[in-house]
Amino acid sequence: MWKIHEGSARHWMIRLLGVAVLAFVVVWIPTQMSSSRIGQVTDAFILMIAAMSLNLVLGFTGQISIGHSAFFGVGGYTAAILIKDHGWSPGYTFYVAAVVAFVVGCVVALPALRIRGIYLALVTLAVAVLFPTLVRWKKLAWLTEGSMGIDSVRYEDVPVWPILGELKGREGRAVFMFWLGLIIVIVTYLVCRGIVKSRFGRALVAIRDNETAAAVMGVNLTTTKVLVFGVSAALCALAGVLSTLKSGVITPDGQYVTLLGSIVFLLVMIVGGAGTLWGPIVGGLVYVLLDNTTRDIGTNDSGILGTLFGWADQSPATLILGLVLVIIMFAAPYGLVGLAKRLSRKVVVVIPRPAGTAKPS
Amino acid sequence: MANPRGATGTVEFVNTTDSANVPLLDVSDVTVKFGGIVALDGLSFSIDRGTICGLIGPNGAGKTTMFNVVSRIYEPTSGTVKYEGRDLLAVPAHGIAHLGIARTFQNLALFPTMTLLENVMVGAHSQGSVGVWRAIARIGAARENRRIRDWSGDLLAQLGLARFAHVPAAGLPFGTLKRLEIARALAARPRFLLMDEPAAGLTHSEVDELGDTVLQIRRDFDLTVLLVEHHMSMVMRISDKVVAMEFGRKISEGTPDQVRNDPKVVAAYLGADA
Ligand SMILES: Nc1ncnc2c1ncn2[C@@H]1O[C@H](COP(=O)(O)OP(=O)(O)OP(=O)(O)O)[C@@H](O)[C@H]1O
Ligand SMILES: [Mg+2]
Repeated sequence: MWKIHEGSARHWMIRLLGVAVLAFVVVWIPTQMSSSRIGQVTDAFILMIAAMSLNLVLGFTGQISIGHSAFFGVGGYTAAILIKDHGWSPGYTFYVAAVVAFVVGCVVALPALRIRGIYLALVTLAVAVLFPTLVRWKKLAWLTEGSMGIDSVRYEDVPVWPILGELKGREGRAVFMFWLGLIIVIVTYLVCRGIVKSRFGRALVAIRDNETAAAVMGVNLTTTKVLVFGVSAALCALAGVLSTLKSGVITPDGQYVTLLGSIVFLLVMIVGGAGTLWGPIVGGLVYVLLDNTTRDIGTNDSGILGTLFGWADQSPATLILGLVLVIIMFAAPYGLVGLAKRLSRKVVVVIPRPAGTAKPS
Repeated sequence: MANPRGATGTVEFVNTTDSANVPLLDVSDVTVKFGGIVALDGLSFSIDRGTICGLIGPNGAGKTTMFNVVSRIYEPTSGTVKYEGRDLLAVPAHGIAHLGIARTFQNLALFPTMTLLENVMVGAHSQGSVGVWRAIARIGAARENRRIRDWSGDLLAQLGLARFAHVPAAGLPFGTLKRLEIARALAARPRFLLMDEPAAGLTHSEVDELGDTVLQIRRDFDLTVLLVEHHMSMVMRISDKVVAMEFGRKISEGTPDQVRNDPKVVAAYLGADA
């Protein structure tokens, strides 16, 4: 076993190495992969963002939400409406979508102030079910265009970013969306990290662990829960905007706009590792990998997986992930990231900086 | 109301008390009912600044209920509670810590997934000011973290828990966690500390040691203490004043000697199993 001290030169070297490897992979993808593969990675980004946002509320604060598909939809629709009806440039819609979703999130948080557990799950479930219905509502058709949804909301021409060189056509759009997605993944990660490693983040975990004790320590349960729901919804809306810009359409039956979206976010978060910063990122990657490797099983109907899952007319990724989830629940309560942490601790142990002003004896 | 003082070398106190003739805590005619159960029945008593007040009584007398009233977890059916002359019942639960009131819990109310250090850092919540926006923008968050981390580390060291600083609270022995409760409560730099059976589950020598610890922190932090304890020897040794309760009512109040020899108290304890 190898012991390193937190903040020592060695520790920084390891971190730097990690970042370098990540950066290498990230640059490698859009330069070497086919545009459809790049698109799949962007899909993973979208899931990562949504799952990271859910993680703030559920993983860290312990407030269950099955309503995040609605926040995703709010983001997607805000972008689509602004671009289509008001001629906005897509880039700016991210900000508006975040603000709108923040407000919606704060409102959805209100039940969380009074109820917990299964009841909160039911209320947020209702939000998830309500959203597509609301969008389809005839009286809102002037805004949302009903079940048809809103289409052609892409970038007309992708903006020119000098660093990316000239991007043209389908290929260029895929590369651009990849980088845009990556930026939002990084922003979302930094927002989550900033929150988690602060007084506010400690208050979130305190609420998850023992609400009464948290209040006695001075944590205002009302504002903390409302704010974390709001921020979470805003981040989830970014994923919605990204998804809309990538596909160019948003409909009430959209992949992650329906209740299924909430379930997928939940799966991604838990499989990756609830209450860990990297969990949703790993989970998003695993989900998209699984989705793309198992998509054809239904049509091929061959092999052991075909026999097992061939009857499913959709991609069995959700189903398989559901099974993986059950296993993970037993084997690794903190998901794949928790498992990795536990295993790596057998090899490397990071000794935290000593706390206190007194010299360690 | 928050108290963003800079990191200080050692654990120290700042005396902010003023009008010395008002009792620190003044409980008057407090009644708490749970459906048909009357947990507190017109209870009145007061605690003077800088003293240790023992609160005793058989199981179910209503001692913990009293704590929960002061920390605004239970809403009394009637009565008033004043703290430094201010109406405590108008303060929300999360405002209590900001007023300098901290408590420990009889049956432990720790944050099991957090390390001991993190538990104490949450205890210092009222000593910080970084909210969600400053956390996202990273304005002063790192500096505040360092300050609170050092302060919490010092407290753990003072309570002899430094070597467990980075161990999760879940799974540690009960006695260790009882001490952690005290460290966490002190992290808020309280002026008034309520301790609910801190000696429960300790051995005889540990109980004596704890009594000394309580006297020590009272001196170091300039505390007023309300102490609920079943270990009579400890209560009688360290309390300046003792209040005895039974069935939600006060049956006796006075110096340890007076209360110990009060026939009503003797009867209450002979009737119970203590
Ligand atoms: N939340 C509650 N709901 C219903 N009854 C309660 C509640 N809390 C306390 N009680 C009742 O109020 C009475 C006083 O309980 P309390 O816990 O205050 O006693 P205590 O003096 O702390 O006893 P112990 O020495 O056993 O800790 C008991 O009869 C108890 O059952
Ligand atoms: Mg009790």
